[in-house]
Amino acid sequence: MYEKIYHEPGVSGNLIIFKGCKEKILDTLKKVLYDITGDDMEKIARQGLLYDFYGALLTEHQRNIYEDVVLYDLSLSEIAQEHGISRQGVHDLVKRCDKILEGYEEKLHLVEKFEKTKGLAREIRNLTAQFAETKDMSLIHRIEEISGEIIELEAH
Amino acid sequence: MAVKMRLKRMGQKKAPFYRIVVADSRSPRDGRFIEEVGYYDPTTEPSVIKFNEENAKKWLATGAQPTEVVSKLLKIAGIQ
Repeated sequence: MYEKIYHEPGVSGNLIIFKGCKEKILDTLKKVLYDITGDDMEKIARQGLLYDFYGALLTEHQRNIYEDVVLYDLSLSEIAQEHGISRQGVHDLVKRCDKILEGYEEKLHLVEKFEKTKGLAREIRNLTAQFAETKDMSLIHRIEEISGEIIELEAH
Repeated sequence: MAVKMRLKRMGQKKAPFYRIVVADSRSPRDGRFIEEVGYYDPTTEPSVIKFNEENAKKWLATGAQPTEVVSKLLKIAGIQ
C-alpha cells in the first residue's frame, strides 16, 4: 500500500509515504511533522551535541556549513549566500551531515552514553543531598547501585 | 537594515547553552549582537526557555525577524 516510511533523524514522528507522492507535497508534510512533534528546537540541540562529539570527522567544508546551522542558527539562504552555493546545495549538505553524524552515533552511542551517565550522576547528586538531610542509609545503597550502573554503561 | 532574532550557541563542548539575540543580518558570524532577549538551555529536563518579554516584544514590533527555531521558542513561551 505505501512505498516507505520516512524517518527524520532527531524527530520522534514518522511519515508514511504513499506511491506517487510529489516531492513538493513531501516537503510540506515534513514541515507539518516538525510542527506537530515540536521537535524543531530540540533538533538544533541534538545536531549541536552530535557535532560536539563527531564534528571532527566531517570535512572542513562540511564543518563550516554545519557550524553555521548549529552554532549560529543561520537560514539556508543566508548560508548559501555566504558560501556562494545554492540553497538546495546547502540543504543537501546539511541533510548529509545529519546522516553522517547520526550514523556515527548509531555505531558508537557516545551521545547516548553521555546523556545516561549525566542523568545518573545527577541522581547521585540528589541522593547525597537527601542523605545529608535524612541520614537514611538506604540512600547509600542506592548510590552504590547507580555507580555500578555507570561502570556497566562504560564497559559496553 | 534587516534585523534578525536568532540563537547563538554559548557554553562549552557537550554542554550547549543558547543565547537568544537580536543581531544585524549582515554580520551573522562575527558574534556582535545588538541585544540579548533571552536564553534556551536544553541540558536540563525539561529544557528551559526564558525571554525578556518586554524586550522581545519590542524587537518583534520593530520588525526583527525571528529564525524558525526562535519562532518556535516564542510560541512555546507564549509571546507570539
